[in-house]
Amino acid sequence: MAILEARNIGKTYGGVVALKDAGIHVEAGSVHALLGENGAGKSTLIKIMSGAVTPDRGRLLLNGQEVRFRDTGEAARQGVAIVSQELNLFPDLDVLANLYPVTGPRRGPFVDRAAMTEAAEPVLEQLGLKVSLRTRLGDLSLAQRQLVEIARALLTRPRVLILDEPTSALEQASADRLLNVVRVLREHEVGVVFVSHILEEVMALSDVITVLRNGQVVMEARERGTLSMQEVVTAMLGDRPAQEKGRTPLAASPVQAGDAEAAVRPAEGADRTAGTGGADGPVGRAGRAADGALRIVDAGAQGVLADVSLTVRPGEILGLAGLAGSGHQATLELVAGLRRVETGEVRLPSGRPVPRGLRRSIAAGVAVVSGDRRRFGLMLDKPIWENIAQVRAVALGRDGAFLRRTALRERARDHGERMSLRCASVDQRTGLLSGGNQQKVVLAKWLDANPSVLLLDDPTRGVDVGAKAEMHALIRSATEAGTVTLLCSTDVEELASLCDRVAVFYRGKVAATLAGDDLNQHRILEIMNTGQD
Amino acid sequence: MSVNDVGTEGTAAADAPNAPEGGPGRSPYGRAGDLARRVPAMESMSVLVATVALVVVIGVIHPDFLSAGQLLDMLQASVYVGLLAGGMAFLISMREIDLSVGSMFGLSLISMGLLINQGFSPWLAGLLGVLLGGVLGLINALVVQFIGIPTIVATLATLSVYRGLALALSEGQQVTGMPVDDSFFTILGGKVLGVQTSIWVLVAVTVLLTVVLRFTSFGYRVRAIGSNPDAATFSGISANRVRMQVLVLMGLLAGVAAALGLAFFTSGDPNIGTGFELQAIAAAVIGGTPLRGGTATVVGAVFGGILLAVVGSGLQYFNIPVNWSSFATGAVILLAVSLDSLLRRRRRRKDAELGL
Ligand SMILES: Nc1ncnc2c1ncn2[C@@H]1O[C@H](COP(=O)(O)OP(=O)(O)OP(=O)(O)O)[C@@H](O)[C@H]1O
Ligand SMILES: [Mg+2]
Repeated sequence: MAILEARNIGKTYGGVVALKDAGIHVEAGSVHALLGENGAGKSTLIKIMSGAVTPDRGRLLLNGQEVRFRDTGEAARQGVAIVSQELNLFPDLDVLANLYPVTGPRRGPFVDRAAMTEAAEPVLEQLGLKVSLRTRLGDLSLAQRQLVEIARALLTRPRVLILDEPTSALEQASADRLLNVVRVLREHEVGVVFVSHILEEVMALSDVITVLRNGQVVMEARERGTLSMQEVVTAMLGDRPAQEKGRTPLAASPVQAGDAEAAVRPAEGADRTAGTGGADGPVGRAGRAADGALRIVDAGAQGVLADVSLTVRPGEILGLAGLAGSGHQATLELVAGLRRVETGEVRLPSGRPVPRGLRRSIAAGVAVVSGDRRRFGLMLDKPIWENIAQVRAVALGRDGAFLRRTALRERARDHGERMSLRCASVDQRTGLLSGGNQQKVVLAKWLDANPSVLLLDDPTRGVDVGAKAEMHALIRSATEAGTVTLLCSTDVEELASLCDRVAVFYRGKVAATLAGDDLNQHRILEIMNTGQD
Repeated sequence: MSVNDVGTEGTAAADAPNAPEGGPGRSPYGRAGDLARRVPAMESMSVLVATVALVVVIGVIHPDFLSAGQLLDMLQASVYVGLLAGGMAFLISMREIDLSVGSMFGLSLISMGLLINQGFSPWLAGLLGVLLGGVLGLINALVVQFIGIPTIVATLATLSVYRGLALALSEGQQVTGMPVDDSFFTILGGKVLGVQTSIWVLVAVTVLLTVVLRFTSFGYRVRAIGSNPDAATFSGISANRVRMQVLVLMGLLAGVAAALGLAFFTSGDPNIGTGFELQAIAAAVIGGTPLRGGTATVVGAVFGGILLAVVGSGLQYFNIPVNWSSFATGAVILLAVSLDSLLRRRRRRKDAELGL
């Protein structure tokens, strides 16, 4: 018998139908994967199962008894824990306090931090999270915060654990560790619901698969063993085409739109270089950037990076791979102006050295697309069009002192259409979009600024296979129009399929640069972990 | 197809059942545009309703309250807090608060008076006083930036510093003996077309600030910072620079208010403007500028200031003992914000129905 079952669930947000008639049942000791494209209603369904959202219709059964959770706290007391897609943590409290938001062990009226620590340490150990429990949460990276959220759910000793895209921010090693934790839970007869867009891990981990499309179940609790990856993708996307390789451009509109941009860009590019002409003085060691390449020459930073030299031409996508702290992120930060270039130099396509500070490098044509969309990417309370206008029109003031809303809306609409953004209108509040669609808005706002250097940090975090291919095609066409693109990704498959070359970092140095036939997931992972070419 | 699905091929027609306002054939991206445009006008709705209602209620009981002269006097009395509240709305929308506005107002006013007594032409003194306000705002900004403390803390200190300077410069005495026949006093302190000049200035400044906040990239920057400071910084907006600009603007507004005040009162008390900071904050909040930042309404803030003035003069009409006036003002503030939260909740429901 199912521990937790949702039946005939319906949920409408005003005009938007999030769930039409959906259901799922969770068995003890089994991992149930819940799949579907962005906006299919996955998060809504599991929020309903964990008491975060009340359904308009339908029933929830816990051990065969109908239940109605008032909030997530009540669900947790009854053994249903959720790790939600958008993290719900307190940035100003320390890690330990975040692990016990309500019901920590107490001694008299006081919280018992010693007992809390004792309980928490093995769980963090299991997840491989090596931070002091006293660290302020806001100082952790997105991946670390994700692990804290998972640890918090595990500490409630749930009978049903619901994970909404738990690995989207994790690099391979920690994702693997998490998947092992899930396997252990399965052995302990916990029922697990697992939402993910990374199909490889779904196929490796899950026992049963349910697929949602447009708020309805299109594939119900099929045994994973009886399914092929292709069947799953077809169920998810329906007749929408899934493009496996981002490199092969889509025949549809995105590319044409990209071409139109290409026609505009050379003039702008020339403008940029002309502006820097005399002021720059003598030609640097890296030489005049007549070819508009991004040049990193012998760059280093104490304890993080040493002697990194890379040249990326316009039209090229360079991947930066590595384990956490191996220097690939730091390289991205160097170019973004977020980290000082201590030795060597970094020159932008204009030929100028990268300026100090993020703001100046953005003004110099650098775009920084972050996967941490809630924190660094979006104004959730603002309409979509205001977010898309934020860089070019608002921060850089390229559209003049007076902004015309109609024009900005129009442009946002174009971007939305190009990205197949799923929204009621561009006036919709961005926080109401599904996770993957929010991520598209982040990319749109940077492409709107026509950058000369595009820095991507997990740009497709939480984006479904179909939309991922579309975003890859957009990144491709923006790059082909003359942008230098650098990509960091926790998704090795993305690195292998989207990039022309991949620089693999090991302990602060570039261990190898892969291209052509050499460029595949297997090689990247091997060098990432061993440093051996 | 149930959810508004915007596939690669046009699906506008398929969306129609779920798009309440958009007819078939219209892109889903275009819907609800007109609705969104109406929303800003509604932000300051509740304070307008409250103000008009209060005026009508007092007017019914005391009909002479509704005379043009009385109403204009009341408006005139609200000009100073109104100007400060307009600037405060900018600050609050970027999650900042300036506590020194009352003191900047007082110090500018005293300085103008003293300069005039030194023989400066009143117009020149007025101009210098306005600029002084700007400088005081700049000092606030520099303190915030270089000591690295929150604006509210920095201005808590300069609240005392500026007031102290005003008292010290005037030796605690009233500044009097103004050449009241000078055009500075007759024009700025007088009337144009039957309406006090300061009211005209308030109207002009309100329009100007509204345009700046709503339609310029600067205004968008201010609100972007309030909406999500990290995302604003990561989009290339310099929070420091914008904060400095807004604090200077705040100082300039205090200076303008001071010039109008000196011209109207023709004398300066070193304690003038004490408590204006809280009134300006209250006015902005009553007007519908939320403390969480991200949005603001200058019109609402100015009307918040007017509402406070209506309460003030209403109390006199009802012969409420002076000792109860604070209590009554507080009660009215509470009423006004309750009304606001009620209207807001209704609007949010309507938005939710449209999936906004
Ligand atoms: N609070 C809300 N108000 C209005 N619409 C909402 C709200 N929450 C979700 N939606 C809409 O409901 C639909 C389903 O969203 P949901 O978050 O469940 O998608 P999802 O399957 O989790 O997608 P993703 O893979 O991108 O996370 C989307 O179209 C979304 O815009
Ligand atoms: Mg989701």
